[in-house]
Parts: sequence; C-alpha cells; structure tokens
Amino acid sequence: MGKYNVLLYDNIGNTYERKNKYLLELALLDEKIKNEKDNNIKSMLKKQRREIKKNKRNHPYIISLKDYEKKENEFLNDLKKKRTEYYNKLKADKTSRKLRKLKTRLFESEKKLDFYSEYVDLSYEAEFEYKKANLDTIHLPNIIEFLVEGQNELNIALAKKEELKNLDEKDFRKEFKKFKESRKEILKEEKLRIKNLRKQGLISRKAEENALTELKRKYKNVLEIKKRESIKFSNNEFIKTKKYELKKDLKTMLKVLEADISDFRRKIPVEIEKTIPYYSYLTLLVPGLGQGLNKQYIKMLLFLIGTLFIYLIAIPYALGYGNYQGQGIAGLISLAEGGLRIHKSIIFMIEGIVALFLSIIAIGIYAISFIDVHKVEKNAIKGIRPSNWFETKTTISEEGFPYIVSLPALLIIVFIVLVPIMTTFLLSFTNMDPQHQSKFTWIGLSNYKMIIMGQGLAGKVFWQILGWTVIWTLAATTLAILIGFALALLVNNERIKGKRFFRTIYLLPWAVPAFITIMFFSIMVAPGGVLTEIIKNATGLRVEIKNDPTLTRIALILMQGWLGSSYIFILTTGVLQAIPGDLYEAADMDGATAWDKIRRITVPLVLFQTAPLLVTQYTFNFNNFSAIFLFNGGGPFNPIKYGNLAGSSDILISYIYKLTMDNQYQAIGAAITMFISLGLMIFTFIGFRNSKQFKEGRL
Amino acid sequence: MARKKENKEKLYLSDKPPLTLFGKIGIFLTYVVLFAWVYAIVWPLFQMFVSAFNGKQQQYIMANSNFEFSIRHFQYLFTETLYLTWVKNTLIIAGTTALLTLIVVSFTGYAYSRYRFKGRNASLMAIMLIQTIPTFAGITAYFTMHSIVSSIIPQFSRQMMLILIYTGGAIASNTFILKGYIDSVSTELDDAAKIDGCSNFNVYRLIIMPIARPMLTIIALWSFIGPFMDYLLAKVLLTSPKSYTLAAGLYTLVTDFRTMNQPAFAAGGLLTAIPIVILFIALQKQLVSGLTSGSVKG
Repeated sequence: MGKYNVLLYDNIGNTYERKNKYLLELALLDEKIKNEKDNNIKSMLKKQRREIKKNKRNHPYIISLKDYEKKENEFLNDLKKKRTEYYNKLKADKTSRKLRKLKTRLFESEKKLDFYSEYVDLSYEAEFEYKKANLDTIHLPNIIEFLVEGQNELNIALAKKEELKNLDEKDFRKEFKKFKESRKEILKEEKLRIKNLRKQGLISRKAEENALTELKRKYKNVLEIKKRESIKFSNNEFIKTKKYELKKDLKTMLKVLEADISDFRRKIPVEIEKTIPYYSYLTLLVPGLGQGLNKQYIKMLLFLIGTLFIYLIAIPYALGYGNYQGQGIAGLISLAEGGLRIHKSIIFMIEGIVALFLSIIAIGIYAISFIDVHKVEKNAIKGIRPSNWFETKTTISEEGFPYIVSLPALLIIVFIVLVPIMTTFLLSFTNMDPQHQSKFTWIGLSNYKMIIMGQGLAGKVFWQILGWTVIWTLAATTLAILIGFALALLVNNERIKGKRFFRTIYLLPWAVPAFITIMFFSIMVAPGGVLTEIIKNATGLRVEIKNDPTLTRIALILMQGWLGSSYIFILTTGVLQAIPGDLYEAADMDGATAWDKIRRITVPLVLFQTAPLLVTQYTFNFNNFSAIFLFNGGGPFNPIKYGNLAGSSDILISYIYKLTMDNQYQAIGAAITMFISLGLMIFTFIGFRNSKQFKEGRL
Repeated sequence: MARKKENKEKLYLSDKPPLTLFGKIGIFLTYVVLFAWVYAIVWPLFQMFVSAFNGKQQQYIMANSNFEFSIRHFQYLFTETLYLTWVKNTLIIAGTTALLTLIVVSFTGYAYSRYRFKGRNASLMAIMLIQTIPTFAGITAYFTMHSIVSSIIPQFSRQMMLILIYTGGAIASNTFILKGYIDSVSTELDDAAKIDGCSNFNVYRLIIMPIARPMLTIIALWSFIGPFMDYLLAKVLLTSPKSYTLAAGLYTLVTDFRTMNQPAFAAGGLLTAIPIVILFIALQKQLVSGLTSGSVKG
C-alpha cells in the first residue's frame, strides 16, 4: 500500500495543507511509521492505520464530505433544470446564440458562487469551483456588455446601410473625381521634379526609386482618406470593422478568462485517495482509455484515433492481414518460400519492412500514451491538477510544434527513403540473381564475403573497379577544382576587364544540363565525330577514343574537369569577392609579393570557406553515374579483364546499375551499394564531426 | 591653360601602381588563358548549336558534312517525337516536386532552426548520413513499392512515384540549407512577435517566411531544375515514351536505334538548355549565395 504525503504540491513546488482530514490523519501516521525505529511501536502504528482505514465510513471528515457530495449532487441537478429554463427563456427573447451562451454561463456561475462558498474550507474541489465561478462573475458581465454594445452598434449601422441603399452620392462622386484628378496632377509634378533631380545628378538612382514609391504611397493614402468622406463607404467600413471586432476581440477576452482560470488550476491542488498510478498500467493496451479516466476527454479522442490505427491497421498488417501479397513481419523470414507461383520474395520483403515500420509507430503510440497517463496520475497523487484541454492545447502548440510540422517530412523520409534503403540492405543478404528473380532466400554474409575475398561474379572485378573509381574521383575532382580556382583567381585580378563577360561564359558548363553536354561530347568523340576528325587532321593519327581504355579514361577526366570547374569557379568567385581588401593592403605594406598574397591569404580563406562543399564534390564524383554511363556506357569492354558485365571505364555506381538493371543481379548490386554507402557515410561523418559547428554544439 | 589640360591627361590617375613590363606581359598572358578557356567552353556548345541548325546532318552528327541552315531537325523534334509531351511532363513533375519540397522543407527548416526538441541532434545526424546513400540505391524497391501501391490505388502513376522520390531526396539537404539561413536571422524578431501574442505558426507565417523568401526561392528553383537535369531515375522508372520527362525522352534520341537522331537531340538539348541557362545567368547571385550558405552546414 502506498503512502500519503502530509503536504500537497503544485507543479512549481509550492506546498499546500491537506483539507481532507481523513487523509491527513493517515499521512501523519505514515510519517510516524517511517520515522519510528522500534519495531513494536511500528507494528502498533500500522495496526492503528489499518483501524482508521477500516473505519473510514465513520470518520467525521468523511461524513461531512459525503454530506457535501450529496448536496452538491442535488444542487447540480437543480441547476441543470434552471439552466435549461433560463436558456429557453433567452431563446424566446431572440437573443443571439453567442450572447445566450455567455448569459447562461454567468447565470450558472452566480448560482455556483452561492453554493460553493460554504464549502471552500472543506475540499479543494469546492474551492476551485468557487474561485472559477468567482472569476466568471467578475469577467463575464464585462464581456456581455461588450458584446451587447457591439451588437447594438452593428445593428444601427446595418439599419443605416439599409436606409442609405437608395442614396445616390452624385455630388460626392463628382467631388472625389475632381479631388483625384488634382492629386494626380500634383503626383505628376512631384515625379517630374524628382526625375529632374536625378537628371541633374543630385540624387542617386536608389534615392529616386525610394522617393517615387513614397510618392505613390502618399497618393494612395490621401485617396483612401478622402474616400471615407462618403457616408455609404464609411458606414460599410464601420460594419466590417465591427464584425471583425466582435469576432476576434470576443475570442481574445474569453481566452484571457480561460487563462485566468488555468492559473487557478495550477494553484489549487487536487486531493485523491489513490497512491499508486495503476490506471496507466491497466490501460496500457488501449491508448486513450487512461486519458479518459483522467478526465481529459479531447486528449482521449486523439489517442483513441491512435488506438484505431494500432488495432485496425498496424497489428493486422504486421500479422499479414490486408497485405498485398506478403505475410506481414513473418514474410521477412519466409520470403514467400513455398508460396504460390505468383508470390514474389521482394514483395514479401518490402511488406515486411513496411509492417516493421508500422509496428514501430504503434509502439511509439503505446509509449507516448503510457508516459502521458502515468505522468498525469503521478502528478495528481502529488497534488497537481490534471491540465484541461485549453492548457494541453497550449502545450501542444508550444512544445509539440516542431514534431507536428516535421511530420510530413518524417513520413516521406520513412516511406520513400528509409524503406527502400532498408530493402537494399536486406537484399544484400539474399541470393536474388537472374535464376532467383521471383523467389530468393537468405544466404547470410556470402555476398560480402565474395566481395572482400575478390571471388565470384561480384568480387573478381570489384577491387579493380574500386581502384579506377578512386583514381577517377581524385583526378576528375581535383582537376575541376584546380581549373575553377585558377580561373577565379585570374578573373578576380583587379586589372582584368570584362569580368562580367568571363563570369557569364564560365557559368555555362554548369548551367547547361550535364546529360546534354556529356552526350554531345560522346557524339563528338565517336568515330567520325567532330573532335575525332580534328585530332586526325592535326596529328595524322586515327584515334578511336571510345575503343581505347586509357584514352577513354583520360577523356572522361578532362570532360569532368570541364564540367566541374564551372561550379568551383562560381563558388570561389563568391568567396573571393567577400575577402576584405584591407587584408591585401596590409600585406602590400609589409612587402608581400603577389605569390605570397595568394599563398597566405587567398588560398587559406577560400579553402576554409568552401572545404565542406569541396568534400561533397568528391562524393558527387564518386557516384557520378551520368558522366561514365552517358559518355561511353562504361566501355570499352574488355571481357578478359572485366568479365562480361563491366567495361574498363565503369565506376562502382555504373557497375551497380549494370548489375541490377541490365543483368538482374540485385543482391550483389545491393551488397556493393551497402559497401560504398558505408564508406561514404564514414567519410561524411568524419567531415561532419570535424566541422566547426558540430564542435561548438551549435548544429 | 591648354597646357595644363594636356598635362592632366598624361597624369597617372589610378591608385594602383603603374605596370612594369613584366606585369604587362603577365596581364597579357592572363588574357590569353582566359580567352583560351572561353574558347574551350564555347566551342563544344557552338558545335551543338551548329549541328542543330545544319540541314546536311543526317542521323549521326558527322564532322565532314557541310553547313546548310535549316530548321528541319526542330521540325522533326516537334512532329516525329513526343517532345512537347515530354516538356509538359517535365513541367508538371518539376512544378509538383518544387511545391512539395517547399512546403515540407520550409516547416522542417524552421523547426530545426528554432526549436530544441528531443531527438533533434540525433535526427539531424541521421538525415545527414542517410543522404550520402545515392537515391539510386533504392531502385529495386521503388519498382515493387509502385506496383504494390498502384494495385491498391490504380491512379498512382509512376510519375507520382518519381515526384515523391525527388521530394524525398531533396528534403535532407534543403532542410540543412534553410536551417542555416534561418539561424542567421535574429531570434529577437520571433521573441517580439511572441510577446505580441503570435502563435508559433504565425511567427513562422508572418515573420520567418517573408525573411526567408530569398532562400525559399532558391530551394524552389533548385528542386524545379532537378527533374530537368536527372535522367537516370526517369529513364529507369518511366516505361512508356508518353510518360517520359525531357531528359529520358532526349536520351532515346541518341541511344535507341529505332529513334536515333543525333541532330534532333542537339536541337532538343538546345531548347532545353536555353531557358535554364537564362535562368542561371539571371539569378547568378542568388544561386551562388544559396550554395555558400549551404556550405555552412559543415
């Protein structure tokens, strides 16, 4: 059996005396038992405690409490009747719905104030009701008055509108037209004056623009003010504002009242007999029920939606019901083995993964619900009043905001990014190949083993291809960086003219979609292509770039240098322009040569700022499928060295493409994908760890 | 008086030191290098331009054919191929991708920049690492996922799948970029708005969105251009020529023997590239600022 505390606490740690004398007695005894060392006395005290609990019904406090509860019940029943009567009477008087509601609430509160005032000292519940009613009786009259007055004014205005309906404001229109014209005239003159100022060179272009916009605004404002001289127009405007006021201001006023009441919720503790938060355990399997028992009904509804999701979607799906083909999570193990002919292992796998994610979401809902109920219950035992919907809503919109707005992103990431990646990861442990397209089985780590040992279809060429991939990545990216950086330095020289021209031209390789340029390069170096002919005419040699592994590789690196330098150029130019000139001036004073300045100032600064992007350039080229595949399809082919699948300029990503798309060795492709992804992840992780922001914890 | 004027003209007015002979040669060499590179860039593009308008070019672009101005390759493009359908498809896919990305990312960027919530750093790190895995890695799954979903919802086309994949791929990096941008906006603005009674959503809508508009424009632009540039996923996922995007469609003009027509490819490439190039040149500054602030992510 749990123990009672002598004092009650609210959520900021203030303490309150117990009002429930019966519980107070128990609490005092509990404290005595705790402090008592002598076992005999302890057991005696315990006996005494049991006695008290047994005689609970005869406890004087409990008797008076029961009496109060009975009376309260009667009072509330009576009030309900009176309330309906009052409400109907108001309805007969044709009061507006809003006003009717407020008035009824006031009526109720007045009655409650009367009733509860007697019992304030008896229980905290009564005190809370009393104070709530008190607040209502203070604030509601003002709100009602505001509403009544507002509505009256609105009605008058509306009546006036009806009256004015047939009024023709001919004179005003004429006057307005005249006024507008005169104003236009003034505007024109002013504009001319400013333009003249600009022509004389007295003000800058920016100043001219600003002055002109200001003039236009002024002109509009004056017209708007003039418009209001029309009775009809101003009356209409008045109606609009009043309506808005009645809607919004009323809402705000009620909100303020609600916030004041919430304040009391925080300050007046609850007192309950329960000592163990057993609701949370009992209702663990039905999220929402516990919230209901805690009397948080809207929260309950929200969690019940979660319950529906769990029992109608997540669990059935995970068990295999409602699947397209698979068997839920079990499908992950069986992979459609022994299933029908049309059953496909890959579908079983994906449905298994989806079921897994759904289950994780379900577990999340269980956990959140349990934690929520548990916390509320524990707090109630301590004395903290469970928050009502008004407060919960505020909490959700404050603390839950980032979660709520990230939800769409999370869903997309889970189902579009994570599920496929998970599939690829699992595929790498299977034997999905041309012979096992429809049905495949788990084969453990053998794909990885083959790759690492350099055996079999995947392994034999893997290390060769990896070697070329690394060379390609380093050479092509570095070349692009060097070209781009050098050009940016040259163009940025203050004596060079036509900077804009160079910058525009140098932007082109980046701006033209890469697949177009790559394919066109490919066309140009084909036999009979423009470049091939030029080389032939210049050197007299008949070179067939596409049939020579070394030449293809060199051409690829040069082409990527051409393509990639543009981006680096733009990037570096941006950084160069931001370097303050006084650094160079200071260097000049100290007698630095041009080379010194580049080496000591420019390079470090540019590198520092662009390093992360340069790193992504390397990872980009590592996976630069387009360049390789479009230029020569990974060729030329060399079956003796590379087998039947890969060509001599294939990099890993294009090899994976050929494995999965062209030859249906999905499992091996997946294993290689995982292999390089892991490598790239480690690479990125190290870069990320070393970044300034991560170290400073500023993420 | 006249002499004085003459003197003034001869006067060396620049604040830079006068060039030595050595310096002059240096400048000259610089110009040589710069123009050489201009030539290196313009020449291939010019070749493409010429081939597109050369009526003498047949199915393959050959070096030794003469030039004869004609627009027949363009005519071929518009009449014999589905070029206009491809343009329409690409515009739809690109537009939807940009819109979806913008909506999703503007929220996450704001949330990650302004709130310190549970799981924030862990999820940031996770996204960061996951995005290093090439989108292509999931291709086997995409096929199957599409067939599962489309068996339940027949309207779910492969193009929609493509849109979702593009969006999914764009979320991570763009969240970082936008987060970096919003980080640079002082939180005092938010605080002031909150004191005046703005809810979180209103702070986002009324304060952050307008300030972040330049960056949002760039993000929208990038995600819009993406589908124009990517041909791999489009080619693999889309099966019928009617549903192709530009990239996938043009690709068939150089690889498929039945539809092989290289000059038409050059013409189509030209038509595709020109609007994008104009866009890039016009928005050069903004695009670059987008790049560098992306670098802040570290």
